[in-house]
Amino acid sequence: MKQRKKVEWTRLDNASKYFAAVSNFKDTKVFRLACELYEDVDPEALQKALDLTLESFPLYRSVLRRGIFWYYLEASDIKPTVEIESLPVCAPIYYKDRRNLLFRVFYYNSRINLEVFHALSDGTGALWFLKTLVHHYLVLKHKEELGGRIPELNYIAPISKKMDDSFRRYYTGGKIFKQHARNDDVKKESAAYRIRGTRTEDSRMRLIEGSMSAKAVLGQAHAYDTTLTVYIASLFIYSIYKEMPARAKNFPIILSIPINLRQFFESATARNFFSTMNVSYRFEKGEAGLGDIIQKVRETFQRELTEEMLNKQLNHFMSLEKNPLARVVPLPLKDYSIRLVDKLNDRKITAALSNIGRITMPEEFDGYIRQFSVCTSARRPQICMCTYGDRLVISFTSPFRETDIQSTFFKYLSQSNIDIEISSNF
Amino acid sequence: MRYCSHCKVRIRGNKEFCPLCGNSLPAGDGSAQKEVYPEIPPFYERHVAVRIMAFISIAAVVTSFAVYMIFPASVNWPLLVVFGILSMWLSLVVVIRKRHNMPKTIMWQVTVASALSVFWDWETGWKGWSREYFIPIACVTAMLVMYVTAKIMKLSVRDYIAYALLNGLFGIVPILFILLDWIEVYHASIVCIALSIIFISAIFIFQGENIKEELNKRMHI
Repeated sequence: MKQRKKVEWTRLDNASKYFAAVSNFKDTKVFRLACELYEDVDPEALQKALDLTLESFPLYRSVLRRGIFWYYLEASDIKPTVEIESLPVCAPIYYKDRRNLLFRVFYYNSRINLEVFHALSDGTGALWFLKTLVHHYLVLKHKEELGGRIPELNYIAPISKKMDDSFRRYYTGGKIFKQHARNDDVKKESAAYRIRGTRTEDSRMRLIEGSMSAKAVLGQAHAYDTTLTVYIASLFIYSIYKEMPARAKNFPIILSIPINLRQFFESATARNFFSTMNVSYRFEKGEAGLGDIIQKVRETFQRELTEEMLNKQLNHFMSLEKNPLARVVPLPLKDYSIRLVDKLNDRKITAALSNIGRITMPEEFDGYIRQFSVCTSARRPQICMCTYGDRLVISFTSPFRETDIQSTFFKYLSQSNIDIEISSNF
Repeated sequence: MRYCSHCKVRIRGNKEFCPLCGNSLPAGDGSAQKEVYPEIPPFYERHVAVRIMAFISIAAVVTSFAVYMIFPASVNWPLLVVFGILSMWLSLVVVIRKRHNMPKTIMWQVTVASALSVFWDWETGWKGWSREYFIPIACVTAMLVMYVTAKIMKLSVRDYIAYALLNGLFGIVPILFILLDWIEVYHASIVCIALSIIFISAIFIFQGENIKEELNKRMHI
């Protein structure tokens, strides 16, 4: 009781502030990264691996708490335990006033799941955690077979770099905010088409995962002279269009796509560091083909993915956080206003797609890992995708019972002679 | 592995229907596969106790109004029943919502109970018992309860120190009652004020650094 230990706490980064405010039971803002092995998971070894991993990711020991003006992360000494999967995909993690860690590790048969509350980290940050976890697990489990060839951990940034708030580091100042505001009237986005459906009874996510050859899909993308992300985004827009009711067809379809800012600004943070861009497509009279959509999506990617644009957005969001007036508003009021703005912005988005990209592990582990996959809680059908070796896994999560868009999407791929393995949680 | 000939995809696990198109699937080669995802039973938050209480509350209110209409009385007592039930619900909601943080629950209870006592006092003829007795006694009790809970639950100092301070400050409020001459009976208020001042000074003398850090953390802008 008489301890004089220093209270360790950290401010939230820019994106975390948003996630902490808007998470609820319907949209939990939890995402899942999974690694499927060829063998069944041994819980004891996994627990040891988790304890080892946690040593190099101290931020993962934090609990989220509410101050008078802002949320903050407070260090805790809670010990996480691995458990057999016993909750729906991306079930709530953060509960107000409850002190628990912001991630959980589940296993089921041969799969290891890491579920993370988005205020703690983004996909790339959490992927580093999962890769370290799988690394420790495989080394613990197969020390003999690997012999002397125990591979190096390929994510060994200093702890201070992992804890870095990169939004704050690359924030240049208020001037850009004004420029941004002036340019803003150039494109006022109109309301987007919104996908409707029947919610599942306890608002759980329905997950449909398609695993296929990355080379084969990339071949198709190359036939259109484009990248994997552009191709899949276009096919997603196309599938939504096919299932759209006729009277909704004058609304544009707008995809929201997160961008990993670590590609553009040097950072090794294991916390949030991403931005988002919107890709909009308005169907004119008459049938549009996939080719037309790809053309438009590619143009948007080229326009949006420049350092200047990303810088502008980063500074815009940071300036909201730095606004002296906004800072002194008490937290509950902040929460309500963020939720309100979020609701309004939500009308401008039809669906979202997020590509974690290519995941690499030391080649010594090739024989043990089947595939990686990623999925997230969502308000409407959403795609998350990642590639490991030649396994491209495209995961749809949706709170709706209907699966028409998913069906159209995968059928298009299977009809172009791509062999697809579907797994689902219902 | 099963195969959906409509969607032209292979399906993992032992599904009877294609998750994409909903058509039934042929048995395949008959060998049972390992499931990829566990089946998780639907989860509903069932608060049976809360439902029973809600039912009893409504029944009680309706009955008392019915009885009052049949046998009129000089006091409008069914209204008091309504207020009583509302008061109970108000403190129940606070307890349920804040149940994971004991010191916070205690602080909230004192605030809610004090507010309710003023309301009841006013509603029943403004005799002043809420300010003369209830609020001072509630504050002192809360201080004791908070200290005892912290010891029993082995809370670390920084988990409750901010609430203890808040509690102490709240305990000084009755000084206003005396200064503004709102009350006639002083003794409960004086005991409360004295204890609060001692309590606060103890916090600052023994836990000054903790308080400073705790405030820095909670108040950062």
